[in-house]
Amino acid sequence: MRTIAVFAAVLSALSCFGTAVAGGMFGPPQPVSRDAGGLHTAVGYIHYADIFKDGADHVIRQNHIYSQAGYGAHDRWEIYGRVSMSDLRISDAFRSANDAAVPSRSDFEDRWKFFGTLGGKGYYPFGSCLGMGIFVQASYAFGDFKDGVSGTLNGAPFATELKLKDIWDINFGIGLQWTVPRGVRLYAGPFAYYAEAKASPSPAVRGLALASEDVLIRNKTSAGGFAGVDIPIGKGFRLNLETRYSERFSLGSAIVFVY
Amino acid sequence: MKASVYIIFALLFLGCAHGNQAVVADGPGAEWNPPVFLTAAGVAPSAFESLLRPGVLHSEKDSGKEQAETGDEYLEDVPAGDDEYAEEFKGEEEEEITIADPLEPLNRAMFHFNDRLYFWVLKPVAEGYNKVVPEDARISVRNFFSNLAYPIRLASCLLQADFRGAATETGRFVVNTVWGIGGLLDPASGKDLDLKMQNVDLGQTLGTYGVGHGVYIVWPFIGPSSPRDSVDIVGGYFLYPVYYLEPWYAAWGARAYESVNDTSLRIGDYESLKEAAIDPYIALRNAYAQYRRKLVESRGKTDEPPPGGVRAGAEGIINPGMPAPRRMQISWELAPEAEVNRVARMPASDTASGKEKRP
Repeated sequence: MRTIAVFAAVLSALSCFGTAVAGGMFGPPQPVSRDAGGLHTAVGYIHYADIFKDGADHVIRQNHIYSQAGYGAHDRWEIYGRVSMSDLRISDAFRSANDAAVPSRSDFEDRWKFFGTLGGKGYYPFGSCLGMGIFVQASYAFGDFKDGVSGTLNGAPFATELKLKDIWDINFGIGLQWTVPRGVRLYAGPFAYYAEAKASPSPAVRGLALASEDVLIRNKTSAGGFAGVDIPIGKGFRLNLETRYSERFSLGSAIVFVY
Repeated sequence: MKASVYIIFALLFLGCAHGNQAVVADGPGAEWNPPVFLTAAGVAPSAFESLLRPGVLHSEKDSGKEQAETGDEYLEDVPAGDDEYAEEFKGEEEEEITIADPLEPLNRAMFHFNDRLYFWVLKPVAEGYNKVVPEDARISVRNFFSNLAYPIRLASCLLQADFRGAATETGRFVVNTVWGIGGLLDPASGKDLDLKMQNVDLGQTLGTYGVGHGVYIVWPFIGPSSPRDSVDIVGGYFLYPVYYLEPWYAAWGARAYESVNDTSLRIGDYESLKEAAIDPYIALRNAYAQYRRKLVESRGKTDEPPPGGVRAGAEGIINPGMPAPRRMQISWELAPEAEVNRVARMPASDTASGKEKRP
């Protein structure tokens, strides 16, 4: 009962905290920590792609590397935190909506910024092979992504800097897991998510997609599906491969070490 | 003024205050006396001989002969072959280890300086830190600094042509950095991976090539050392990444914090040894000589516990102001405190020789 209360409190805290676009992989529904309780750590990479909208669609791509530490027990629950770095690319962020503005390029790009992620999961087995779990995971970008563009507006030169700040997301999902021989776990399920970021140009340039005024961009679709495999590779290590889909495919892998 | 300083140092180096002696770690069963200065037939070996032959083994048997020659009334009553313990002690006597100490007056001054530094500054700070920071966090900090010292251990392994050790160290560094959250945790030492930290340093490396200790030196802030082992201090300056922090006071601040953190994990060990010894200076010197000798001898036996049954805490006892991680095995499976304390509680003579006192 106390454990459930702690878990509920953690989930509530996560819901309030909110965290990042592409906070990393979801992982198998079943906790990887030892049954008696213990730590695990992981490093992972995920190529994340999605579509955000502010009237027009913009494809967002991120290369996300992360380091994770988590704790779980009783094969029932697990909480984890991640520190990660990610770049960001937004297609057509500086696309001209009219003939007056002619930017030198159209895509927004910035290098690595830090993200933080918190997550938790609960698992219920239906037997030795089958089980179901839920998870919630949220991320937040600690830095602002920035990129500048120059060009001409009605024949006059301009230069502006677009800042993407307060990037965060929250994911909630249900996973079905099937354990096959050799301890390999296959899992899949649906997830729902919400992500947003504030785009703020300085100065604003009329006619440029995201740089014409302060805008809030959000994910275009709020649901998707994920599937993955978790393979024990010995010496306490596990290999986790995962893909997810919502508007675009994302693909990631992680190596987990269980203490 | 300069000339007088040179003269003082020259006299100290030549051991003017106490002659040119090699100092012997007292053997088991020996009563604790002020340092016993062995001389062959009353003729003191030169300081240079001590320098050239540091770590010369002096057996109790030899000392007995010398004492007999000088008219020791108790030894005269016991024929050499009739001593019932003579054979029993024979093997152990050969383990006695010496280190020349012609700088003893200066070393004692440095010892007292370090001692006061420990009791007046380091220990109070460490105790306060101890109360604020949980032990697990302090162990993680120690693991972190220990992980940073990887270049020192790697260089030592390579210089000793211990490529297996170098590979182990590299594996540890990768695993602990990547899956140990930057080295805060030590998964490499766990049962699954069992990649134990190599107990190596640059002074030991020179030792494996036959370089002797030289004279005993007590460095301020650092503690017991020797010219040979001081190479580790110099090498560490270049190989320890912490020293590359900018500005300079960030580097030294980090080292000071490391020292406080390390001390907080072994408060009481040094005190125990000090209380158990009649002359703590001698006890530490002998423990140091014994420990370093065993450390050199232990190379090639990496699967065995560190020498003399003295594990992680030993370096801390020997060098109360010196953070252990640069040299010692630090893992979640540290040497049991009981073991360290047991060694510390032993009479200094036994501690020095690494042997238990006979019942």
